[in-house]
Amino acid sequence: MSLTLGERLTVRSMVYVASEPIPRFWPMRTFIHHNPLYGLEDRPFAEAVVQGAHLFHARGYLSRAQYQAYRAQGKVADGELRGRITAFLAARTERLPSLDLEAWLWELLTSCCHERLIQSGDWISGAAVRAELHGGALAVPAEDLDGRLGMILGERFPKDLPVYRHVDLLFGTELGATLDDLLSKSCLDFFDEGQSAWQAPGREAGFFAAWKEVARRNVRFLLRGLHLRQLLAEEDTPEGTIAHVLRLLEVPEAVWQDYITHELTRMHGWAGFIRYRSSAKHYYWARRYPADLVDFLAVRMTLGLALIQESHRHHRTPLSGGELATLLQEQPRTAYLRYELYGGTILPAWAQRAEDALVRGRPHAIAELAAAYVPNKICAENAGQAKRLRLLAQAVGPQAEAGLMDLSAEEMDGLLAILRDWEHGEGQAWLQAMEAHYIDELVTKVRIPASEERPSKRPFAQALFCIDVRSEPMRRRLEEFGDYQTYGIAGFFGVPLGYLEYGKGSETHLCPAIQTPKNLVLEIPASLELAEEPLYGALQHVLHELKGSVLSPFVAVEAIGLLFSLGLVGKTVAPLSYHRWHDRLHGDKGVTRLLLDKLSPEQADSVIRAVQRAMIVRALARELPDMVRDQATDDEVRELREIALGHQHGRSALAQRRHMSPEAEAEFIGKLRDIYLVNRAQTSLQMERLGRLGFSVEEQVRYVLQALLSIGLDRNFSRFVLLVGHESRTENNPYESALDCGACGGGKGLPNARALANMANKPEVRRKLRERGIVIPEDTWFLPAIHNTTTDAIELHDLDLLPARHLLYLERLRNGLSAATRHCAAQRMPQLGAPARIADDPVAGAVMARRQAHDWSQVRPEWGLSRNVYAIVGRRVLTEGVDLQGRAFLQSYDYRLDPKGRLLENILTGPLVVGEWINLEHYFSVVDTESYGSGSKVYHNVAGRFAVMTGNQSDLRTGLPTQTVLKDGQPYHEPVRLIALVEAPLAFAQRTVGRIGKVKALIGGGWVRLIVLDPEDDYRAHVFEDGSFHVHPGSGRAAARLSEPHSVVEGAS
Amino acid sequence: MILALWLLAAFALPLFPMGWLFNRVLASLPVGWPQALAVLLIPQLGVAALRATHEGWDLPSQWAFYGALWVLLSALFYAFRALSARELGIWTRLLASSGLALTWLDWGSGATWPATEVFVLSWSLPAALLLLLAGALTRRLGGAYLGLQGGLVAVLPRLTASLTMCALALLATPLFPGFFALLRAFDRLPLAFVPLLMPLPLLWGWAAGRFFQDLLFGAYRGEPVTDLGRGPALLIGIALAAFLFVSLLGSGVGL
Repeated sequence: MSLTLGERLTVRSMVYVASEPIPRFWPMRTFIHHNPLYGLEDRPFAEAVVQGAHLFHARGYLSRAQYQAYRAQGKVADGELRGRITAFLAARTERLPSLDLEAWLWELLTSCCHERLIQSGDWISGAAVRAELHGGALAVPAEDLDGRLGMILGERFPKDLPVYRHVDLLFGTELGATLDDLLSKSCLDFFDEGQSAWQAPGREAGFFAAWKEVARRNVRFLLRGLHLRQLLAEEDTPEGTIAHVLRLLEVPEAVWQDYITHELTRMHGWAGFIRYRSSAKHYYWARRYPADLVDFLAVRMTLGLALIQESHRHHRTPLSGGELATLLQEQPRTAYLRYELYGGTILPAWAQRAEDALVRGRPHAIAELAAAYVPNKICAENAGQAKRLRLLAQAVGPQAEAGLMDLSAEEMDGLLAILRDWEHGEGQAWLQAMEAHYIDELVTKVRIPASEERPSKRPFAQALFCIDVRSEPMRRRLEEFGDYQTYGIAGFFGVPLGYLEYGKGSETHLCPAIQTPKNLVLEIPASLELAEEPLYGALQHVLHELKGSVLSPFVAVEAIGLLFSLGLVGKTVAPLSYHRWHDRLHGDKGVTRLLLDKLSPEQADSVIRAVQRAMIVRALARELPDMVRDQATDDEVRELREIALGHQHGRSALAQRRHMSPEAEAEFIGKLRDIYLVNRAQTSLQMERLGRLGFSVEEQVRYVLQALLSIGLDRNFSRFVLLVGHESRTENNPYESALDCGACGGGKGLPNARALANMANKPEVRRKLRERGIVIPEDTWFLPAIHNTTTDAIELHDLDLLPARHLLYLERLRNGLSAATRHCAAQRMPQLGAPARIADDPVAGAVMARRQAHDWSQVRPEWGLSRNVYAIVGRRVLTEGVDLQGRAFLQSYDYRLDPKGRLLENILTGPLVVGEWINLEHYFSVVDTESYGSGSKVYHNVAGRFAVMTGNQSDLRTGLPTQTVLKDGQPYHEPVRLIALVEAPLAFAQRTVGRIGKVKALIGGGWVRLIVLDPEDDYRAHVFEDGSFHVHPGSGRAAARLSEPHSVVEGAS
Repeated sequence: MILALWLLAAFALPLFPMGWLFNRVLASLPVGWPQALAVLLIPQLGVAALRATHEGWDLPSQWAFYGALWVLLSALFYAFRALSARELGIWTRLLASSGLALTWLDWGSGATWPATEVFVLSWSLPAALLLLLAGALTRRLGGAYLGLQGGLVAVLPRLTASLTMCALALLATPLFPGFFALLRAFDRLPLAFVPLLMPLPLLWGWAAGRFFQDLLFGAYRGEPVTDLGRGPALLIGIALAAFLFVSLLGSGVGL
């Protein structure tokens, strides 16, 4: 039975819609910090958290005990918490005059040690709890028992959940876990990106087609008793297979959409990766081996059905949703007892009896046991609930307990409902109260300038750092040490580019993940000599090949195994020395330049000719062994090119000179076309690609202008303007790119810094900038640099281009940077476990930081972006000299240079969204380290070179590992939403936000907390909360003078 | 009379099918001390019954062969049964049955009586401690059925540590007496029996894996509970340490 095109499209669209809540998962080579609930960002935060919990079986807030611990540390605003309680109770309709509910809820929040006071039992009711409180018990009449059980089972076994999940809950089978294992293995086989020595066959045909071919003959599946042949024979297309399986499982069509959602979210790591892959047009592996979520779902559902059938054959478990419904309807007692036992909710004292009864399978005995069990269950649930209520009442006060005892059954129901609903939203109240604390702290920390004058003294150097939180301490140190002026700008410097690094085969997008760069930049070696691979590099290549081979270990281990031990011992015992030695042997790639200017059609043609000529020379050397490189003349090579492109026919002069037969010549020309890609189709493709290469002068002017204006740097340029990108260099760390620049799409920021510096140093660009009012002095030089955040070292680049007169000042610049490096590293080390005294020993601190970076056993080389909490968009004067403890994204911005708000728009749509993703990635990785986070790094294994798994087989682990967000088992990152402070007039900021739908939704939905610091309103802070702006009482010049006079900066440096 | 003694020994040093009776008797006793004492005393009764028969393994050779085969199959059967048991008392009783059944091999290979008694204690002492701890667990959680509440180690660290150590002792982990006893059995058995003996530690290890999985991993979501007191935990620690000491000493003097 084949589906019509319309039906196929329906299934496909269902999968598309079902996948919307699943966040895309980028390969870890370019780790993208993202909001795990990105697909739900159209809803308010609190609502999305609930939906996320439902879909991903994850929690959205910390536990009550953890919030209580924060409160004990003074990190929760009590006033906010009380306000939330008052507002909650005001909205309730229940009236319980004998109870002081505010006191009850406050006590519940601040002293209750239970995760949940109100239990999630099936049998809890006001009447039964009341009876327990008064020493009695409420029984369920025996004649109602089956009806009640039927209702409970109906709620527990909805039709939109996968059938295997229900079977697992009723029979203790592990179909779900087995299915996940089998699917992980199938995905690993297909999506492998070169980690496996032997690749799965037929991958070019797509995931489902390739898997289908293998599955028919897969011995592992046969040994498991899975009969896939027949299933696979019935449908050809993945859409057809999905529909076929759903029909066989008797899933009502009305719930297909939700059913598919549950199937996809079960392994949201793999689903997210496939979702990313299918939408990434530039992704090499996706182009080569296509796959999408329809394929993934078809494989999953086929395997799932086969497992259900296998379980049915061996354990007589239901074969479909219909059979399951019959079981629940006809044998509610058996089903209930099964659910209690295998769902893990049975009273422990009854577990063995229930197991024995179910194994024996005598219906009468099971029914009797269930009838005996239920009263005990009711008693246990309600007694437990009554005990908890009584304890809470005692904690509230003596009158509260009397009030509790006086409640009628209906009032007790009301109390339970109030407490249940409060607990449902309690996490949000705690979160807002924590955020209120941080908002208070920020408002009091921000320094209000006393004057709006702009400084006129020319600093020794200006440095543009990434907005990354790790730049903040470095900027502070640098400003302390000398005459430096620093700015914050998104680490891609506003230049989105596709980058093809020298020696790398594929393009990397260096810009926020939400953008797609139009321009491609090539890195090319400046050395004119032919590249010779260094000896060590060649040796390393050979060893790598040997390791990857299946057979070589049998013969090579004894011969060269010892060589590997050198590295092993070196990395372990003396990582710093080993690293120095390794670097010396390895050699770097030498001086390179960026191909930054757009090519004219003639230049593009010339580049292609040059490349093709080089390919022909290489082909001659490889394919004609007796041919010496210099033997072919330029004319002969040109002629071969013309013949390969079909522009010329007949025999070539070279072939005639070398007495090649016509067949041999034709074969060689064929190879030129097929292997070395010297052909017409490739030429047009290359011409098209070269069109992306570089930036036009106008584009360059625009990018430089925008970068400078967006940070408020339009005058008073110093001699050096450093463009400091950042990166992290660590060993044996699959999460290395998570420590790189988020604004560069998880890449390193240096290419963008080099590109912008190159543009800004061009006389032609400067001339056009002058025409637009930006006068860059002739002696100003833009210098790219890279900040290694693991060691805090700042390395200057492209020094060979530096004008000679600047060399005089280079030493002073380097000294300043080195001093800042050492002090920053020393300050950071105690947080990474070093003794506190090291903070006062900069040299030791710097050495330790380097050791951390090169230690391959180090699971936490740096804290990365952990503890981020603020994003400050405004002038540096607001935060200059303020210790923000590396917790703030600092984006420089001067609203006075942005009359239309366009620059602010760019900041809000780019850096702010990147900050929000980073913040929420950390938030969710802390509140649920297993479902949203990736668990402990210790158990991780690299999967297919693009992700990590826990153990040898699991879902792909998305999110951050516990080593990044926890310290000694407790949150190191304090999970609050990003608090963004924008320095701008309120009305201006509102207008700007209002123009950007996405940002408006983020702020309105509470994904980002917004504060507008209005310079035209006495610097009062307007906090956006519950749909409107409220003036923060501690803000403004007047408040600052009253509370802390020095927070008004005199002279506004 | 001799037959009665043989039957008594087959019950107290559980051989299939008499092991069923051994387990039923233990199960019929209240959880805690009574079961613990019973698992200590009944096997000693079995040793005494064997002594009373005054007969070693001096049966006709093919009888000895089939007897040893029966013993091994009994031990394998009870170990296999333990794989599916999640109730701590049942799990302990089945594994104790599996280990105690091997006493017959020890006795059959002509071990001295003190050595046979130590051999029996190798299984019955940790089993007794485990049954005591099963009682403690039942008092706290209402039952000792593992797997319903994961992550017990987080809320009951001392009780869980004690359970883990006792289980390791029961499963003949190296340095505990069971390990040396098993080694001795390996040493004395004809080579033909090794394929039957080898799966035994594998099954025990598998059972231990499931046990630890249910006991240690997962997240505890139940009511707050009180851990085992420091005193009882210390006593169990001392008992196990003494057990280890005797084990090392015994292995040195060839017990």
